[in-house]
Amino acid sequence: MVNWIVAAFILLISLWYLSFTATRLDRLHHRVETSWANLDVLLQKRAAVALEIAHSDIADPASSMLLTGAAYQARDADIQNRSQAESGLSGALGLLLEDSQHLATAADNVLLTELSALTDKIRVAIAIHTDAVGRTQLVRTKVIVRIFRLAGTAPLPVTYEFESDVL
Amino acid sequence: MLTRSLKIGIVCPYSWDTPGGVQNHIRDLAEFLIAAGHDVSVLAPVMDETSLPSYVVSAGKPISIPYNGAVARVLFGPVAFSRVRHWISQGDFDLLHLHEPAIPSISLLACWAADGPMVGTFHAAAKRQKIIFAIGPILEPAIEKLSARIAVSEAARLTLTDHLDTDAVIIPNGIYASRYAHGKPQEKWQGNSIGFIGRFEEPRKGLSVLVDALPIIARFAPDIKVFVAGPGDSTDVEKSIDPQLRHRFEFLGKISEEDKADFMASVSLYVAPNTGGESFGIILAEALAGGACVVASDIPAFDDLLGKGQFGALFASEDSTDLAKVIIELLRDEPKRKQLAEAGKARGQSFDWKVVAEQIYSVYEMSIVGSEKVKLASDTRSWNRFLSKDEK
Repeated sequence: MVNWIVAAFILLISLWYLSFTATRLDRLHHRVETSWANLDVLLQKRAAVALEIAHSDIADPASSMLLTGAAYQARDADIQNRSQAESGLSGALGLLLEDSQHLATAADNVLLTELSALTDKIRVAIAIHTDAVGRTQLVRTKVIVRIFRLAGTAPLPVTYEFESDVL
Repeated sequence: MLTRSLKIGIVCPYSWDTPGGVQNHIRDLAEFLIAAGHDVSVLAPVMDETSLPSYVVSAGKPISIPYNGAVARVLFGPVAFSRVRHWISQGDFDLLHLHEPAIPSISLLACWAADGPMVGTFHAAAKRQKIIFAIGPILEPAIEKLSARIAVSEAARLTLTDHLDTDAVIIPNGIYASRYAHGKPQEKWQGNSIGFIGRFEEPRKGLSVLVDALPIIARFAPDIKVFVAGPGDSTDVEKSIDPQLRHRFEFLGKISEEDKADFMASVSLYVAPNTGGESFGIILAEALAGGACVVASDIPAFDDLLGKGQFGALFASEDSTDLAKVIIELLRDEPKRKQLAEAGKARGQSFDWKVVAEQIYSVYEMSIVGSEKVKLASDTRSWNRFLSKDEK
């Protein structure tokens, strides 16, 4: 009799643990998707601001060309080439901003402040996204998750490699 | 900065009415957010409920436990847990901001109970402890629910990566820099004077290092004066000072914020000889903003805050001979002192609430995107959903 009670108890605990882990994993997958969507929107915005900067007086013709190219590349890149294209845009922006800060006019300054506010947000968004991805990958390597297929059909998230030092 | 008004719930782990860095930080942040038009509710353990600001909700009386080398007044247990759950379900929050969620406190309980956008701020810096291997796996699923983590300093971030294997964005503690920027130099504190502010009775504040350094300093600067401000009983400390030098020390007791600004503007050197346990060093940021020339021990938090010596001089921690050397050099070199104070003042501005709150708010925005409001985790768990469907 006691054996049965113990067995039922253990079964209950394991069922609870399975449900708990499934909820946890579900939350993580959701976070990966929302944080990526958020990051994506911010990066698109940055590309738009970069184009505006390219067309403003801040950029000389040569850097304007470079920036326009990089911005279009970042906009059109598919998921595999995305991080590379975005890093390219970061590089182009970095080159331009390094020596343009002091010669910008008031109207251009609005663009530059917008860009720096956007950059700050992107930095946080990247941190949130990479963390969510890392966590999800970690939890999905657990034996219990693999045996009981708790991840379901959700694809394994891919790390977005952003060279954050370029930002 | 502010696009829409949010309903923000902040959880303070430590007793609201005991003084402390975390409590001050939460009070200033809450007041700044309210002034910016947000709806803020702070849940905190409270000892005396009679004189609470309107935005604070009491979670009950705290209990004292030893933690990280000091006594922490925190709160947990089933009663507290049900109060936390009640606060969350009634609050209808857009976002929860939990402070120090990795210690046993209502912050951890809130993290456990809630589901939705949550931001956690980690204040403490501690050495790696063995016990974390035992409790890490329990904490992990809870800490993981935080959509974004903030560390107040590089030291706090390292503690977090060491203990819980997760990263954080660094946003420093805030100060009202403008309050300190316009202090008037007072003659009584000028001359060859050294300033010290803090609870000097606590050994980790390091006043004894300064006391030990004084005989050497007095040999080179006979007119040296040391002004010690801060709450506490000075009789024991005064006994430990060499009788011949005792009159060089003046204990001012606790001083007001305005006096603090004048104090920082007056003293030749502000000394922070803390020996450790410091994660950020808010008083040092205030000293910088007040235009004092700062000398601090080279513990990681201060080293970071002073930009490796760019914004203030550093000495080898707990080494009073080195402290004396640095102080004497600076007392003799007025241009250097001026230059450090000026660099420090600019540095101090970067800790102003205007800058810091904007950074925190931008983390809030990132966490809220695409998520629903904060709910109780138990409402969203699958079997409960299943059960409540049956009832209908």
